Amino acid sequence: MEGNDHAIIRAVLAGDKDAYGLLVARHSQNVFRVAFRITGDEADADEVVQDAFLRGYQRLEGFESRSEFGTWIYRIAVNCALNMVNKRKVEATYQIGEESDPERRQVQLADTAADPERSLLSREIEALQKTAMRDLTATEKTAFILRHMEGHTTTEIAAALQIAPNAAKQVVFRAVQKLRRNLAPLRVIP
Amino acid sequence: MKHLNEEELIDHYYGESESPAAVTEHLRECGDCARNYAVLERDLAEIKPSPVPARDAAYGEQVWQSIRGSLPVYQAPKRSRWGWLALPPWGFAAAATACLLVAAAFFAGRQWEHRNTPIATNPGNGEQGKQRVVLVVLGDHLDRSERLLVELKHADPSTEVPLQAEARDLLSANRLYRESVKSSQDPTMANALDHLERVLTEVANEPAGLSAARLDELQKEMNTDGLLFEVRVLRSRVQEDVDQNSGTSKATKGVSI
Repeated sequence: MEGNDHAIIRAVLAGDKDAYGLLVARHSQNVFRVAFRITGDEADADEVVQDAFLRGYQRLEGFESRSEFGTWIYRIAVNCALNMVNKRKVEATYQIGEESDPERRQVQLADTAADPERSLLSREIEALQKTAMRDLTATEKTAFILRHMEGHTTTEIAAALQIAPNAAKQVVFRAVQKLRRNLAPLRVIP
Repeated sequence: MKHLNEEELIDHYYGESESPAAVTEHLRECGDCARNYAVLERDLAEIKPSPVPARDAAYGEQVWQSIRGSLPVYQAPKRSRWGWLALPPWGFAAAATACLLVAAAFFAGRQWEHRNTPIATNPGNGEQGKQRVVLVVLGDHLDRSERLLVELKHADPSTEVPLQAEARDLLSANRLYRESVKSSQDPTMANALDHLERVLTEVANEPAGLSAARLDELQKEMNTDGLLFEVRVLRSRVQEDVDQNSGTSKATKGVSI
């Protein structure tokens, strides 16, 4: 599959612009998944996908044939998503300030499920997790998602975030620490 | 018995422990660590990825159509790297003759230049000059980093924006220096730049600005005071190298005059 990617890249660089559409079709689902996990928003994830493929095209001449296009565009998407999260966090700073107060965490939901108590509890857990994730810095959140949800190694995370492996390891560690601290209310005492 | 710390447990959970067999063995023997690990496992298992909305098969095509219009067409290279293989036989002879002529002219030129140069130039000057430039640039980087760390130490909410902008600016330069220092066998400098990069990453990417609490956290977690000291020591070391390098350079100049 990747061999085909290289042939397509050669074709694009030789002037066949539309060949790039094949690469977009092939990798867009994967890129969307990571973009959505990092941004947590469908519209933002769509924007990140477009931005990543746009940047990928612009930098295609610098693509090294030793690497795989899928991995390369994935890294670009991670950076685009990281930028998006930073942008959105700055825009919504005041909202985060209100919600990060553990004393004020409240979830008010409509009772629509068959088992309202269970549904409410799981939604409450989900809401608390979302708040805990919002308390992470953009780098911490991205590193944690890449580690915990996307299953990447420290080396891969370091490459995606363009930091040293040791720094990537520390970022994941700090993210786990903060999440555990914020999710402590969920812990059931035996 | 030395207990496993949280970092080691997290490494083990994600399969990145340096010696997984030893950790497993320890967890089997040590009740405290086994309990801590069980809690960690439960905590992390609670954090499940939220479902990703489905994108249909036409999604790729939609993305492509949305960006297609803004993409320029790459120009195909006029002649491929191996195009010379298509030369006719007489073309090879002509090319070989041309190469010989160029080589002969180059050799003759070198000989002439050698005979007509009265004063020998110092071959070390170019290398020394380059090294000096590198040292000056690195010294400047450390100087700026030191100023940022000092500002960070005494920061108040009003200095957030310039601090972050400066950190972002320093971060990209720091990556380059770290990479080059890594290959130059200087572990002290490499470690300090690595540490500096972690701090810069945090400052640069702090989304909600640097609150007093976050600053305090950064200072404690990342030992920014210790880093400031390291940077100061390294900056003075680099400055000494620069001075020494200039001194050597001047002396050399003196000799040749």
